[in-house]
Amino acid sequence: REALGEDAEPKVAEEEEEQRRSHKQIEASRQRLAKLLFDGTQLVTNIQVAADLRETQRRAEEAELKLQRVEKLENEAKSSTYKFEEITSKWALAKEMTIPQELWQLLNQQQQQCALLLEEKNKLIDDLQQELKNKDEQYVQAIKKQSDDIHLLLERMEEQIRIMLKTYRHKLLQIEKAFELERRELLDNNRKKWEEAIQAHSARELEYLHARMRKVEEFEKQLNQLRVEDEEEYNSMKIQLENDVQNLERQLQQMKAAYQLNQEKLEYNLQVLKKQDEENTIIRSQQKRKLNRLHSLLNNLRTKLAKQEKQFREENQSLAADCERITGQCKEVQRRIRHFAVSDAEKFTEVWLMNEEEAKGLMRKALDADRIIHTQQLGLPWEEPCHWFLNNVGPLGHYKVKRMATKLAAEVLTVGSGEGGKGNTAKVEDRVTPLRNISKKTAKRILELVSDESGFLIESKLLRPLRALGRHERTLMKLDSIFAALEIDSEDDLYQLVDFFLKYKAQEVAVSQLPKFAKGRGCGPLPGASWLLGRRRWWKAQCPACWPSLQSSPSGEDVRDPAEAREDGGSSAQRDELKPPRSSPGSLPSVYMHADDVLRILKAFVRDFDKLREKDGSAKEILQVRDSSKDGEYWEALAHVIPEPTLKLWDALAVALEEYYEVLTRRASLLAEAAILQQQNSELCLLLEEYVSSGVNSNLPSPPTPWMDPNLSCPGEAQ
Amino acid sequence: SYYTHRVIEDPEWSLATVPHLTELCLQHIVHNFEKNPILDCLLPEHQRKVLDRLSTGLPLAVTANLISDEDYWKRCCTDRWQVCDISNYGDSWKRMFFERHLENILKCFIPNTTDPNQVLELIPLCKDYVWKLEVDQFLPPVKVDQKEERDDVSDTGSDFGLGEISVHHYDLGVLITALPHLEELHLTYGVKDCGMNFEWNLFNFTHQDCCNLAVAVKMCHNLKVFKLTRSKVDDDKSRLLVRNLLDHPCLVELNLSHNLIRDKGARAVGKLISRSRLETLDLCNNQIHHLGAQALARALAENSTLTSLNLRLNCVEDEGGEAIGRALLTNTTLKSIHLGSNNLSEPTATLFSQVLAQNTTLTSINFSCNHLGLDGGKQLLDGLADNKALTEFDLRLAEVGQEIEYLIHQIVWANREAARLGSLQHPPTKPL
Repeated sequence: REALGEDAEPKVAEEEEEQRRSHKQIEASRQRLAKLLFDGTQLVTNIQVAADLRETQRRAEEAELKLQRVEKLENEAKSSTYKFEEITSKWALAKEMTIPQELWQLLNQQQQQCALLLEEKNKLIDDLQQELKNKDEQYVQAIKKQSDDIHLLLERMEEQIRIMLKTYRHKLLQIEKAFELERRELLDNNRKKWEEAIQAHSARELEYLHARMRKVEEFEKQLNQLRVEDEEEYNSMKIQLENDVQNLERQLQQMKAAYQLNQEKLEYNLQVLKKQDEENTIIRSQQKRKLNRLHSLLNNLRTKLAKQEKQFREENQSLAADCERITGQCKEVQRRIRHFAVSDAEKFTEVWLMNEEEAKGLMRKALDADRIIHTQQLGLPWEEPCHWFLNNVGPLGHYKVKRMATKLAAEVLTVGSGEGGKGNTAKVEDRVTPLRNISKKTAKRILELVSDESGFLIESKLLRPLRALGRHERTLMKLDSIFAALEIDSEDDLYQLVDFFLKYKAQEVAVSQLPKFAKGRGCGPLPGASWLLGRRRWWKAQCPACWPSLQSSPSGEDVRDPAEAREDGGSSAQRDELKPPRSSPGSLPSVYMHADDVLRILKAFVRDFDKLREKDGSAKEILQVRDSSKDGEYWEALAHVIPEPTLKLWDALAVALEEYYEVLTRRASLLAEAAILQQQNSELCLLLEEYVSSGVNSNLPSPPTPWMDPNLSCPGEAQ
Repeated sequence: SYYTHRVIEDPEWSLATVPHLTELCLQHIVHNFEKNPILDCLLPEHQRKVLDRLSTGLPLAVTANLISDEDYWKRCCTDRWQVCDISNYGDSWKRMFFERHLENILKCFIPNTTDPNQVLELIPLCKDYVWKLEVDQFLPPVKVDQKEERDDVSDTGSDFGLGEISVHHYDLGVLITALPHLEELHLTYGVKDCGMNFEWNLFNFTHQDCCNLAVAVKMCHNLKVFKLTRSKVDDDKSRLLVRNLLDHPCLVELNLSHNLIRDKGARAVGKLISRSRLETLDLCNNQIHHLGAQALARALAENSTLTSLNLRLNCVEDEGGEAIGRALLTNTTLKSIHLGSNNLSEPTATLFSQVLAQNTTLTSINFSCNHLGLDGGKQLLDGLADNKALTEFDLRLAEVGQEIEYLIHQIVWANREAARLGSLQHPPTKPL
């Protein structure tokens, strides 16, 4: 335990101080102490170990002795038993002994032997007891020895403790000394260092001082120099400055004069300014007032503006509502106008028809009259005048426009078939021209393709009878039903279809063969342009009712001309290629129309077509201003159905007839007169007769019979 | 009038000498503490005063559970015993007082003569303060008068005569099982200071005693240290004890030194090693031969808790020594082994040189008082050459020669230094 306590100290010291010497000292002390402790422990335990050794030796000896003893006892027992047996065996012999001396001898012998045996046993016992006593002594000795050992142990322990204490104290002292020494060394070192530092410091200080002194001297020298220089400079400067002062004083006086002047001026100015200031204040107040007023005005105006704005907004709203309403009304009116236009047109047609009828009646009458006059009166042969308007029924342009698509198709087809130069071609081609910018060949080809490829559109029951017909008719019939299915009814629709075909093809080709096109596209109108053109035309045609026949026919002829011109080229064109829509060189290139594309194109067409129709539906509604310039002519023509000479003839005839009539009337009146007279005459006759016949008459003083005859004979004279 | 009179009469009288009422009260409390113990309801300073003045002779029945003040118990202890080392008693004077008091009573207890109530009455008073019982004397029952007669007659005959009478010692069972904190039990069934009155029957640890003790120890679940020394424990008794100690939950140290244990007992102890948590086992000065040593070695090879084994003064011999050496080749827990005075020789030394080369946990070996011989010493030296763990190696009187002993000592010393430095560097554990 002491070691623990003592060891802790150096350890603490170790921790506290890291210096080399103390550390070493501590280490050395520790080692010595540990050694000492170990030796001491060794010394103390030596006793125990020695005791142990003695004990083991004793045990070994004891064991040996024990073994010996046991052996001895066993030997002894063996020998004694042997002897005992000998003795006992002799007892049996004794029984057999009959001679007393012998017996006695034997008995004596036995007794001796027994005694011997006993003696031996006793000896053994004595030996053992002796041993025991020895052991007791040994025990006592052992106890003594042990107490001695214990004493020794105690002694050693005490000594050990003493030594340990001493050495610990010693070591502690040493360690302390070491620390002391170290501390002193450290102090010395530090002091030395300190002194060195101080010395160095003072030396440097001295150096600095010297340097400073030197510098001071230098600076003094410089100062002196500078002072001299400055003095000179000062003198010169002084002179200059004095001059300057004089100048300045002069200037000062001048300035003072100027100052006086200026002061007066300034005072005056001040006065003026004060006045102005006052005025300004007045004006400012006025302005302020004005400003206030204006502010209030502004506010008023603002409020007014707000009010007005509000009002205007309201008005605007109401106007917007009005506008809406009005637009509604307008629409309504438009609708009505349209309606009225339609009804007007109807009415117009009706009126026209009525008037025409009337006029025709009148004309017919006139013509009849003419005929009668000619045939009956004049006895001349009369021939029916042949005029275009005679056959006209209804408003002009009525029948001109609307041709059915089928009819057109038929025409187109007939053109194709009748290419061989039939007699009626000229006439037909005249009619067929409506395929405006499209060659008839192309159109025909397209139509044939359509009829061939879209047979599915035809009703099945129609198909059977078709077979019986010729190719041409069959195609026609098919087309008819296809058009019905596609809702194509007007010729314009047909144009559109054909147009569409061409355009579609053109686009396709344009897409696929762009470079090839580049050349052709140079001057000819683009397909789009031609499309537009077609569109416009179609649109015009959509409302044929509004277009006067005279107007439409020239437009038709416009188109007709190029188409006709193209006619010649068309015949020579290849069958498989579609001719460019115009004869102009740069128009669409010939396109090969493949049968497979037809359906696709048709589909696209139907889709577009519906759209177009919808779009045009509204346009159709708009009423066209009717051109009535030709009406007058028409009516005029109707009115002048009887030519001027005839009229003159009529006039002359009338005059003659008038005269004749007059004669006749005179004759008639004369005849009437005569008739009256005749009647009177006859009446009178009758009366006369009555009278005559009656008794009254007879009674009369005068009979009436004389008057009667003239009345009856000439009744015409009365008229 | 009395006071005024006093004042007049006695010039030295002053009011200051009149004690305070509280003082008087405390005085009274102290005087009558035995009959009316008042302590807890006093103020701390008054408590202090009372405790300072209380007599140490008060009956324990009054003071035991009432007073916990250390100073009072210190006074009690110092009044009663001259030597008082408080560090052996967990630094508690009260614990020291009760433990030593109980030990004294047990030491002086004479069966059939002393009233057992003397102990039983003490149990409720001391049970909370006793952690350790160290009884180094158990008196045998006092014999009838014959003993003295016989003594008069002859010393030799008395041995014989007394042997026949029942000589059972006091049964600790009641006491031990009533002490809940008991952790250490040091017992010696024998008589101290008999000197030249030595008689064998004074040291007779009977079978009945052993049974009682074994049962009592088994009931004592907190027991950590059990020492039964110098009590003539032979094989049967040791086996009985071991049977009752098997699978004890706490037992850490077992000391059966200075007994008569032979190989069978050693075998039983070996079984105990493998079926408990023993860390320290002391079997010194028994009669264990190589068979017992082999049994112990087997247990040692499997066990992983034992750190210290003492087989001093046995008869293990080379066979047992070799067995233990082989066990140490695999064991990794044992730190200290004492094989002094075991009649070992060179073969054991040869095997232990191997052990020294392999084992890294063993720090202390004691081979003193054996016959290892010079060659054995050399082999041990060779084995020690690479060993860094061994810090103690006792080869005194082992016939290895001074030179070798010195060299081994150097190596061990170096190892010890290394270990010290290592412990300094890593955890600041206790220095050597």
